[in-house]
Amino acid sequence: MLEIKNVHAEVGGKEILKGITLAIKPGEIHAMMGPNGSGKSTLAYVLAGRDGYDVTSGEIVFDGKNLLEMETEERAAAGFFLAMQYPIEIPGVANNYFLRQALNALREARGQEKASAAEFMKTLREQAKVVGVKPELLKRDVNTGFSGGEKKRNEILQMAMLEPRFCVLDETDSGLDIDALKTVADGVNGLRGPERSFLVITHYQRLLDYIVPDHVHVLADGKIQRSGGKELALELEKGGYERLLGKPEAELRVSA
Amino acid sequence: MVAQRHTEADASFRSNFEAIAANAPNAAIQAWRQESFARFEAIGIPTTRFEPWKYTNIGRSLRQPFRPARAPQLGSDAMRAHFAGGPSARRLIFINGQIQSSFSHAHGFPEGVVVKPLSTMLRDAPDRVLDGLDADDERSFTALNGAFLTDGAWIEVPAGVNVTTPLQLLFLTVAEPAAAMCHPRIVVKLGEGSSLHLIESHIGLGGQVLTNLVTQVELGEQAVLDHDRLQLGGDGTTLVGRADVDLGRKARLNQVLATSGGGLTRNETEARLNGSGIECILNGTFLPRGNEHIDNTIRIEHRAPDSHSDQFYKGVLDDKARAVFAGKILVTREAQRTNAYQRNNNLMLTDDAEIDAKPELEIYADDVKCSHGATSSDLDEISLFYLQSRGLDRRRATAMLTYAFAGEIIDRYRDDGLKKQAQRSVLDRLPGGKALDFLE
Repeated sequence: MLEIKNVHAEVGGKEILKGITLAIKPGEIHAMMGPNGSGKSTLAYVLAGRDGYDVTSGEIVFDGKNLLEMETEERAAAGFFLAMQYPIEIPGVANNYFLRQALNALREARGQEKASAAEFMKTLREQAKVVGVKPELLKRDVNTGFSGGEKKRNEILQMAMLEPRFCVLDETDSGLDIDALKTVADGVNGLRGPERSFLVITHYQRLLDYIVPDHVHVLADGKIQRSGGKELALELEKGGYERLLGKPEAELRVSA
Repeated sequence: MVAQRHTEADASFRSNFEAIAANAPNAAIQAWRQESFARFEAIGIPTTRFEPWKYTNIGRSLRQPFRPARAPQLGSDAMRAHFAGGPSARRLIFINGQIQSSFSHAHGFPEGVVVKPLSTMLRDAPDRVLDGLDADDERSFTALNGAFLTDGAWIEVPAGVNVTTPLQLLFLTVAEPAAAMCHPRIVVKLGEGSSLHLIESHIGLGGQVLTNLVTQVELGEQAVLDHDRLQLGGDGTTLVGRADVDLGRKARLNQVLATSGGGLTRNETEARLNGSGIECILNGTFLPRGNEHIDNTIRIEHRAPDSHSDQFYKGVLDDKARAVFAGKILVTREAQRTNAYQRNNNLMLTDDAEIDAKPELEIYADDVKCSHGATSSDLDEISLFYLQSRGLDRRRATAMLTYAFAGEIIDRYRDDGLKKQAQRSVLDRLPGGKALDFLE
């Protein structure tokens, strides 16, 4: 489904990703773990196509297509979704309105029928309940005045509504208490299916107790240092990144 | 060489004035027009050397002759598209400044309420109209308006009467064979403790038409005026408007004014807070694009203690558009414990657009809370990325964020019909906006 081949990327002229290679098959959940500054969020933005995150070499193939040639919204239409670490506040745009416009734009691009207002609202209310987004937040402006936890849940709600095939969760667990974490994980697990894949980016092993990955990768200094099964996360939890990788913390960050 | 604060008006004003001079409904109005025209000629046209017109070169818009408008016909469907106020609303409709009696409907108000075309008042009660006019006014366009005084709206609400049905003044301008001008005047008098919801629309349907509007508003003690104003100019339309508002003790003015389109628009407002406990709220948004120019010039005078004023204007400038926001707050020595705020935030969609923001505070009282702030910025990249990552293309994302910016003001319209018209017109003017729907 997604193949990342020896990708190097830089931000502001500094190389952050130094050769990432990773293949994710339909239905799989991969966890990307790593300390702060290891390049995790850069990978997420490179996949989503954010301006200023420039791939200098390597390629990314998504469902047989060259992802790097696609605009951000084309990636979304192709089924790519990024749940952001810091969801953006959009004052003046109501949450439910925004989601409906987004869904209709995606459906238009996918050659599908637009959702009727009634059908959309019904699904939205159901999904909001599943991921624990309070009904009143649907009418409020996107993420505006939401707590950290509410923003993260709102990302998962968007993910559920926009029918993606490949989801990247960038530190979705940060800022969540244990109950919120469980709700969010339930939402994600409810979306699992043979045709839908996930890349779960996290600093901590905690989230992986609830969203159980098929594969775990450890990123440091812009490269995948180790890959393994879910037990790798447990190993990491016991010993930390320094012990696992046998390097001092400073060397795990992306060096200049 | 001494800088000229005014320049001589084009000779066509005189020939056009002479052509209509004999048409006055009576001697009193004729005399007023003559006197006003003499004043206009003596003053001339303001140049950019004259401080109140520093950023708006009005002379450039007046280089061609404008003939007094002749009010061409317009189909009722074209009018209906701009109706607002809901099914019960009363309405006066003007085309190029002249009342369209057969399409207007201004009956069924509570007893004592007067809503009439100004032309009727000039014919039947000229002294009542002339009573309220200032023969010493030294403003060029006010004098010009007096010289061509023909029509407009006369609205009186007696003390204690709450008018619950909205009243719409719908001014449409349409092309004539030659460039045309009209000089409507609106007079609103609300008696003590009365209230009115006034909707004022100025819609330009194309053609070279100059509208020189003068508005006089008097709010008695505890009177409440909700004033929704929408100005959608057409290509080639010029709108120069000045409103004078006098507020009495505990009166409340709540105005929302959105302006887009038109070659040049000048919205000048002067509010005088003559008593305590007044609330004067002026919200506005302006969205020029192309070579359009929109000038909002506001002066608020706090003349008594314990009143509150709040100006909040948001601009969206595209292409090579220019805009002016000049807001002055004057607090006299008597006006202790005044709260006066002013905010002007501008969204610049291109590097070529230009805003002149000129906030001014002049405060003589020592116990006041006054503030002003102006910002200009472009669209936030990370917000655009966020919307794109959810499937909206760049144009739609830009339209959505731009709309949201202006929408903060448009949402404050009291009338839903007018709100929707404003929303649609703003969206339709944004690249990518047509693909968005706000009207469900």
